[in-house]
Formats: sequence, C-alpha cells, structure tokens
Amino acid sequence: MTQQAFLYNSKISKVLNNIRKVIVGKDEPATLSLVALLAEGHVLLEDVPGVGKTMLVRTLAKSLDCDFKRIQFTPDLLPSDVTGVSIYNPKELEFEFRGGPILGNIVLADEINRTSPKTQSALLEGMEENSVTVDGNTIELKQPFFVMATQNPIEYEGTYPLPEAQLDRFLLKLKMGYPTAQEEMQMLQKTSKGHPIHDVEAVINKQELIAIQREVKEVYMDQNVQRYIIDIVTGTRAHHAAYLGVSPRGSIALMKAAKAFAYIHDRDYVLPDDVKYLAPFVLAHRIILTSEAKFEGMTAEGMVEELLEKASIPVRKEYS
Amino acid sequence: MRLTQGGNRQLLLRTVIYLCGFLLFWEWLRPLGTLTDTGSLTVFIIYAGFCFFISLLNLRWWLSMLLKLAGLLFILDGLFITETFFSKGWFHLVYLHIQFNADMISTQYWTQITPLFRSFLFLILLWLMSYLMYYWFVISKRIFLFVLLTFSYLTVLDTFTTYEADVAIVRAFAVSLIALGISNFYKELGNESVTFSGLKRVSAWVLPLIGVILFSSIVGFAAPKLDPQWPDPVPYLTSTSKNAGFGGEGGSGVQKVGYGEDDSQLGGSFVQDNSLVFQASVEEKHYWRIETKDLYTGKGWEKSAEPDYSLTSNGGISITTFENTVETEKRKGLVTFESDAFFSKLVYPYGISQVDGEEDVNYLVDNTFGSIAVEAPEKQGIVDEYQVTYDSPSFSIDQLEAAGEEDPADIADRYLQLPDSLPSRVGNLASQVVDDEETRYDKVKAVEQYFNRNGFVYQTKDVAVPDRNQDYVDQFLFESKAGYCDNYSTSMVVMLRTLDIPARWVKGFTGGELSPQTEGGSEGMNVYKVTNSNAHSWVEVYFPDVGWVPFEPTQGFSNPIDFYQEADTTEGSTETDTDADTEEEERPGNQQEVGEEEDEAASASGGSANASGGWSWMAAAVAATIAGAAGLLFITRYRWLSVIMKKKFHKNKSAKTYQDAYLYLLKVLSHKGIKRKEGQTLREYAQVVDQRFESQDMIRLTHQYERMLYRNDIDSTQWGKVTELWENLIKRALS
Repeated sequence: MTQQAFLYNSKISKVLNNIRKVIVGKDEPATLSLVALLAEGHVLLEDVPGVGKTMLVRTLAKSLDCDFKRIQFTPDLLPSDVTGVSIYNPKELEFEFRGGPILGNIVLADEINRTSPKTQSALLEGMEENSVTVDGNTIELKQPFFVMATQNPIEYEGTYPLPEAQLDRFLLKLKMGYPTAQEEMQMLQKTSKGHPIHDVEAVINKQELIAIQREVKEVYMDQNVQRYIIDIVTGTRAHHAAYLGVSPRGSIALMKAAKAFAYIHDRDYVLPDDVKYLAPFVLAHRIILTSEAKFEGMTAEGMVEELLEKASIPVRKEYS
Repeated sequence: MRLTQGGNRQLLLRTVIYLCGFLLFWEWLRPLGTLTDTGSLTVFIIYAGFCFFISLLNLRWWLSMLLKLAGLLFILDGLFITETFFSKGWFHLVYLHIQFNADMISTQYWTQITPLFRSFLFLILLWLMSYLMYYWFVISKRIFLFVLLTFSYLTVLDTFTTYEADVAIVRAFAVSLIALGISNFYKELGNESVTFSGLKRVSAWVLPLIGVILFSSIVGFAAPKLDPQWPDPVPYLTSTSKNAGFGGEGGSGVQKVGYGEDDSQLGGSFVQDNSLVFQASVEEKHYWRIETKDLYTGKGWEKSAEPDYSLTSNGGISITTFENTVETEKRKGLVTFESDAFFSKLVYPYGISQVDGEEDVNYLVDNTFGSIAVEAPEKQGIVDEYQVTYDSPSFSIDQLEAAGEEDPADIADRYLQLPDSLPSRVGNLASQVVDDEETRYDKVKAVEQYFNRNGFVYQTKDVAVPDRNQDYVDQFLFESKAGYCDNYSTSMVVMLRTLDIPARWVKGFTGGELSPQTEGGSEGMNVYKVTNSNAHSWVEVYFPDVGWVPFEPTQGFSNPIDFYQEADTTEGSTETDTDADTEEEERPGNQQEVGEEEDEAASASGGSANASGGWSWMAAAVAATIAGAAGLLFITRYRWLSVIMKKKFHKNKSAKTYQDAYLYLLKVLSHKGIKRKEGQTLREYAQVVDQRFESQDMIRLTHQYERMLYRNDIDSTQWGKVTELWENLIKRALS
C-alpha cells in the first residue's frame, strides 16, 4: 500500500500460505492465531474435537522453525509434568533439572480443562510471568513463547473449567467452526494422498519472529483510536448485563492485538476497523454476565457486538 | 424462468403506471372541449393514446418516430386535406400551408395561422408529451410532480373557468394514487435490499392497493363534507382587481353582503361590506322597503309574475300595504344615495305617498311587488336623491287580535304558495309552535318568537347552502339552526304559509346608523347612514281589514314598526312592543350595534386588505420573494456549498481542509440517503457508498483520509488525486 518501515512482514503471508495449504477455509483462526503470536499473547481455542485445532497449531509451529511441545491434559497430570522436574543424577551426585513441555517455544495445551486447577495454574503462571518456579529455582521460559490451549465446550463431566479470572491470561479466545461443504470436499481431496502437513517447511526462524514481535510494538496507534478502545471497554463495565466488565488488562490486550492485526495487514497504523474486528475475540471471554442476563439468553459476544454498534467511530480530529 | 417472470411483472407494472399517466394526461385534454373551440377532441385523445402506446412498446427510436409521424399525417389528412394521400395535389397543398404559415410566423400574425398548422403543432405537443410522460413515469419514476401539476391545473380551471372539475378531481385522485402506489412498489422492487419473497405475485400487492384506493375514493365521495372554510376567493380577486382598475365599481361586489336582485339561491356565507349606500334624513329610524317576493322555490325567492310597472309622473305613489283603518302619522324624509351605489330602485318607508326627486326623473311603480324603479334616461336609471312623504303606521294590537281569518281570494292564492318539495316536518313544527294560540296575531307572534329560543344562532359566516335535494327552510330549522336574516325571514314566511296564514318576504334595508354630524339635516331630523351590511329581509303578514303587517323574526333585530294597545287595556303603555318586553324595546339599537360590531370585526380583515392594499401587497410580495429566495437557497444548499468547498479545497491544502471536505462529503451523502451509522467505520461506509455508485472512488478517498486521521500523516503527493476523487463523489452524490 505505502512504503513501510518493516522488514519482516512479508514473511507473514508465507506463514498464512502454509496454513492454507494444510487447513482449508480457516483463514480467520489462522490470522487470529498469528495476531496472538505477534502480540506475544496466547490463544484459547474452543471447539469440538476434529475441526483442526491441533492441526492449526502444528502447522503454525512447523512454519516457524520453533521448538513445538504438546501437553495432553488429563485429570492425573501433575504440575511437574508441565514445568519439569529435578532428578537426582547418581553419576554427578547432584539434582539435575529436566525441563517439562512448557519449555518449548510453541506449546499446545490440549484439553486444558481436563486437568486439575493445580496443574492448570502451573501453565497459566508460565504464560503470565514467562518463567516457572521449580524446586525454588526460577526458570526463564524460552522466547518466543506461545501457548495455544484448546478446550472442548461439549463435555463437562470430569472437567475443571478454567476460572473466569484466569481466562484473561489468553489474549484471544477463538472458535474454529465447521468447514463448509465445499471446503470439506477440498479437504478430502487434499488428504487422500498423504497429509499435506508433511510438506510444510519453516519460513520464519526464531530470531526473525522476535524481530517481528518488536516491529509490531512500533505500529502507530492514534489517540482517537485509543479513545475508541476505551469507549468500548468502559462500555462493558457500565453495561447492565455485566457482572464484571473488561479489566484494564483487556484494553491493553485489545491495543496489542490491534497493532499485530494492522501489521499483518501491512499497515503501520491501527484503524478503528482493526479494533472493531478484534474486539469480540479479545473482550468476550473477559466479561462475566449476570445470571439474569445469561438466563435471558444473552452472550458476552452479543454484548460486545451491541457495544460496537453504539460506540462512535472517530471521524474527525481537532485542528487548532 | 424466474427471470422472465420478473421481467413480465416489471412490464406489467410499467404498463399500469404508464396507463395511469395517460389517464391523468387525459384529464388535461378534457377541459379543452368546454373551454376552447377545439373540435375533434376525440381524435386528439386517440392520437395521444396512440403515441403513449408506441412509447410503451419500446421500439427502436426511428421506428417509433416513423409510426408517430405516420399517425400525425394520417390525422391531418383526415381532418383537413381533401386531396388523396401522398398525391401530387396533396404535396402541393401541404407546401402551400407550410409557405403561408411560415410567412405568418415570421411576421408574427399568430392569429392568421391555419387550423391545419395549429393542429399540427398540437399533435407535435401530444407527441412530445407522450415521450415526456414516458420519461417521468417509467424511466425516472418520478410522478409526484405531474400529479401535483394535474391537481393544480384542475383546481385552477374549476375555480376560474366554467369547467366543472367535480368528477375530474375524483378520477384524478384515484388514478394518481394508484400510480403513486404502484410506482413506489416498482421502485422497491428495484431496490436490492428489499425482497418480496412472500409476494411472488404482483396481484397480491397491487389488487389490495387498488381496492383500498377505490374504497377510500368512494368513502370520500360519499362522506359529508364541510363547507369551504375560506370564502370563495374569486369574487374577492375580481372585486379587488376591479377596484384597482376602474376605481370604485366594486361597491356592490358580487358576493359581498348588500342588496341584490337575485334571491333564487339563498344561503352561504358572505363577506361583510361597510360601504355606504345612502344617507337618510328622517325623524325616526325605520326600515327601508324595496320590494317583496312571493314565490318560494325551496331554495330561495322568486316573483310569480313579471312586475307590471306603471308610470307616475307627478311623484304620487300608490303602494298601499295597509288599510285606512290603521293609525298613521305624517312624516317627511330625504334620501341621498351615494354616487357609486348604482341603485336602480327606490328605498322607501312604510306608508309612502309621495316621492319628489329631480325634475327630469320619472318613477315607475309596481304595485304587486311594491317596487319603485327610476326612469331617468340621462342618469342611466340610477337613483340619486329624493324626498319622501309618508304616513308612518302604528298597528293596534287589539285590531290585529280582532282581525278574522277570511282572506281575499287573490291574497290567499298568491301568498299561500308552497313548493311541493317542502318536507312535511316544517308544517308539523309550525303547528306545534302555535298549538296554544288562538288568533292569527298570536300565532304569528309565536312563530316570530320561536327563533329567539330553541338554539338558533345569528351568524354570517359558515352558513350552509342547501344541497340539491334539500329545502332551504328545512335545513335551517332542523339542521344548521344558524344563519342570517334571509334564513329567519324565509323560515317564518314558510311556516306561516303552512298554517294558511298569507305571508310574504320583504327586502330592503334596516334603519342604519345615526350619523354624528347632523348639521346637514333640517330641524328635528336625524341623519342615518345605511351601508351594504344593513341590507335586510323581513316578513309581512296579511291581516284582513288591516293589510300587510311587518314582523321581524331575525335574532338581534327588533321590529321598528309601532304596535300599541288601547289605553283602556294597559294604562300608560301606548307605545310598547306587543311582547311587553320593554327591555327589548330599549335594546334594539344596542342589539343591532352588537351585531354590527361583530360584522365590523368580521370585515376588518377584508377591509384592511382593501384600505392598505398597496402596502400589504408590497410587503407580501417582498416577504414572498425573500421566503422564496431563502427556500431556493436552502433547497440548493448542497450545490452552492459544494462550489464553495471545492474552491477552499483547491486553495488551501491542509489536513483541516481535507477533513472539512471529507466530512462535508459525508453530510451530502447522508442527505442523499446513504447515512453512516454511529458504529460504522469509514471503510465499511465507503464500501456501501461504492456499491451504490458502482465505483472505487470512496474507498480510495477514505484510505487517504484514514491515513491522515489515524496515522497523523498526510501524503501530499496524492493531493491532486484526492481532490479529483472528492469532486467525482460530490458530483455523483448531487446528480
């Protein structure tokens, strides 16, 4: 569009192309996952099994030439299974730290709601602090660090739903959704001769990813767009159906995500359009509705949509 | 399949709309038959229909033009040219016509143009109209203007010409509503955002529409209607224009109050008019009689026979309304008419015996109806000034009470007439009113007093006019109960006649107003000014051996004739009203003044319009011009604002100008119906706009604007392009 100061954003489209090769018709979750990755946030994918959650994460990880780890959460999983454990080495006569899966660059936390809150919080601590504490030692996590957690919204038996207060550790909460008939047809044709994920090659290395993340922070956000974000966020707090509105962390998250989104779209400044598009993904899981509102069939997404209808888009600047 | 269905539907709708257009256009042609000397109107209408039909077929332009031209020539040939079509003589004749008319036009002898050429021009006009109507009704789908024009045309013709648009307006109403409704539906169909999935068939929508319109037309046609709330403007306009043109002929303006000859259609409101008719110098105020009428038609009064005038050269007047038995008092008076009153009949008091006017004036007297006309060749039959000698009567109540019921045959014949159409309830009411009364006098008084009670209201405005099948008296007595002297007097006469009491209707003037300057009058004389608003009508009842006795049924007026009872019956009240209502006796002047004050108030508006006519017309014209100019400026505001904004945009290349220009564009677009919602981003909005305009201009302009607004960065290299985009968009939005 116009000349850019960014060096690496051409790489982004390559990643998206890779994902497109593997997963048909899932551009939106792919782009949003990238948004979270670039904004140094994490993603909670919520959908039924088999719609390609894991495949999405795997393709992403493979495209990035990063260390990919996967944790399958089960009720008997222990925190040390996530963070790692110190094991006594009889040869060396000392305890030696064996890192857990959280020490990868890209971590897939499958069915995060199946494990006990204790184990969940081990992961969540890592996500928030970028470090874990094992046996009194603080261990820095690798950079970049990106968690994609999935959860199944259908089965509730034997699950430990994530507390709402912890949900806002995730930058975005996404749904995959079923493919259309046409997309599914395409998918069948593609996978008939071996899975295309094997052909995926890395297009970005770790250093480049870190550089991109730095560049994203440089994206310009005008004050009037910031004001627009605040309009929306404060709207959730004042809304009659909100038991708890979006915290200031939510405003920051929306700003970061919007910058990453603009970056992906090859723009060095944020538009209200970006904010408007991302707001439901960034804000909905941070809102707790009153039970009356839930009873009336209202959803957090619906509330955000409603606020977006009303929040006035900045169309003028004050010039002296 | 669906496409053709849609196509058929569109064609059908288009045809119906265009047909409505033709019907409306027909309404324009219809009056030509009555108003102009246009012959063969049917041919023209057929040709118009032909042109409309050809237009509808949507043929190639040259083909439709050829067809229309052929039709035109065919008509001209049939109407005017006897030679064989396209023969040598035919061409020669046409050539001669062309030559002659070209000459006449170039020398501006418009009246000399031959009928053939006039018809030719008219046919061309019809042709053009068919094209124009096709454009209005089918292509641009803007029919409201034409509908409005049609209504204006019909109303103007109806008001100012002899053309009766009563039915035409109903037809135009139904047709134009159908056309508007269908064209709206047609437009909605074209609008992609609206889907009529539930209304696959046109009839599901159009038939109810037509049903509703027909229903409302019928209801509107049958429903009772208010009388016009405003007085008819035509007499006012014509009288004002007369005043403006000739100065002072409008004194007896057509529908103003005043004395008029024609009473065959009574009823309706009138405009008050306080212009002076005559001055009377008399001792005591009394009514001034002009004539009587005897034949009640159900709508008004006429004379049963032509008046039979006989000349009186010496001024002796033989009109006798009462017998010698009535007590009288000899009096004299002087009547001076205003020079612009143009009165051809004399006003005279009861008991007149002698008129002395100027020397060369002769008086013609008609005894039957009691009118005195003037024969003065040099003065064109117009009354000027004369002296009257009269014996002012006072009626004895005892004598009236004693009078029998035996009327002479000729009186009973003439003055008991009633129309067959008179509803019987009038007679029933009259019998009821006089139920307890014995003598004729008591009966007459009972009827006279009936109007003072029973909810009758005196008013000159909003007075009903009887419908075709309605009786004037019946309407007043049972429905409106509101009216002025004509209503009261006529009703009383008719009620008395139903009781077999001979009565007649008298016209004239009331006594007028005492003029403050009485110096001019001789001793003991008072000068009364009688104006047009003093025109009045009252009742005379026949009493055997007494004659005709005046009575006054109208509310707010009192009988100025003296009635007295013999001294031995009631001591000290020699001259008192029969009703012994002394208060009423004192009040007549006051009451009448009250009435007159009302009248003055009513006429104040009209009067001021006349008096300060020059000023108010000027002011109105100036105000109208200013309002018109302001309205025009307001309507075209976006056009001239755009020009200003464009200049500014070119001159001053700054972010602020850009923002102003862009926001102005948003305003224009919103004015044109593409409104941005509060939560709609500029980009989303730009897409909507571009979709409407089928272009990319808005999105491109918006990208630049976004950059400035959200990036704080203005790309000055793009300025020229931005200006161009903006201008394109403004042009499109305003087109």
